[in-house]
Amino acid sequence: MANHSATHPKHVHHHFVDSNQQFESAKLGMWVFLVNEILFFGGLFCAYIIFRAWYPELFTQAALELNTFWGAVNTVVLIGSSLTVAMAIRSAQNNQKRGLEINLLITILLACVFLVIKYFEYEHKLHLGIAPGSFWNPTPEIAAVLDHPKANIFFGIYYMMTGVHGLHVIVGIGLMIWLYIRARKGHFNSEYYTPVEITGLYWHLVDLIWIFLFPLLYLIE
Amino acid sequence: MSEHHEHHIASAKQLWGIGIALLILTVLTVTVAGLGLPSPFDILTAMAIALTKAFLVAAFFMGLYWDTKFNSMLLIGALAFFILMVSITLLDTLYRDDIVPSF
Repeated sequence: MANHSATHPKHVHHHFVDSNQQFESAKLGMWVFLVNEILFFGGLFCAYIIFRAWYPELFTQAALELNTFWGAVNTVVLIGSSLTVAMAIRSAQNNQKRGLEINLLITILLACVFLVIKYFEYEHKLHLGIAPGSFWNPTPEIAAVLDHPKANIFFGIYYMMTGVHGLHVIVGIGLMIWLYIRARKGHFNSEYYTPVEITGLYWHLVDLIWIFLFPLLYLIE
Repeated sequence: MSEHHEHHIASAKQLWGIGIALLILTVLTVTVAGLGLPSPFDILTAMAIALTKAFLVAAFFMGLYWDTKFNSMLLIGALAFFILMVSITLLDTLYRDDIVPSF
């Protein structure tokens, strides 16, 4: 302990005992944040459960307006991106700079594909007047098949849940771009890849939320 | 703190295996939804499959299987409080004579 800076790797902050303790602390911090995220989305899932218990027939009717095919495609896209994030972490652990960069790029690409599909889904619905809450203004054709007085509530829940999830995807893309820039500069190696690891945890949680949103919203007709 | 922990590195084969399992479960859940099982079995199978997928992601992609148990405890704790929140809310909303009209 005579010369603090000489015995510590450059990336270890002086208030940590060693690199491993710093890594574990960062991961613990991220998990605490994910707990907060789960309970944040939990409130929305709670609203879903209450309204589905009150109006079961509304949910099965309204879900017909959601496109199961594109929902399934987006599920596959997010699972693929979770795999590439896991592979990115593996690349960093094995000092494979090129593999890390490529996997981060594929992840960014898949996240963008997810958002483009989501955009077209929203655009199609809003075009038909399928909007949340007081903006509910369906075309006569839609109103004929979906004549439930609380139809706007289902879509309020739909837009809120998928919208907040989409916001998380956008934040995720920003983080992945940041990781990519740092990876290009050679900041990560098998000794230090904490940002890749904890951003990965965040990204997997975004995938986890969608794993539940997909069957609950798209698969109930 | 002289002990040095090696971080677990999942093999590429393992990660691809999990990814493929998740894809198969996605196809399965869409197929089962198409069968039109009578309620409540439709929602129960859909949730069972979703929970299996969630378990695979949390255990292997998020690395909880190899990680310190404390992080798993945080996740389980979050789920427990979520269930508590839903249960207590349902105790109210399920037993109302009249659903609030404006809702």
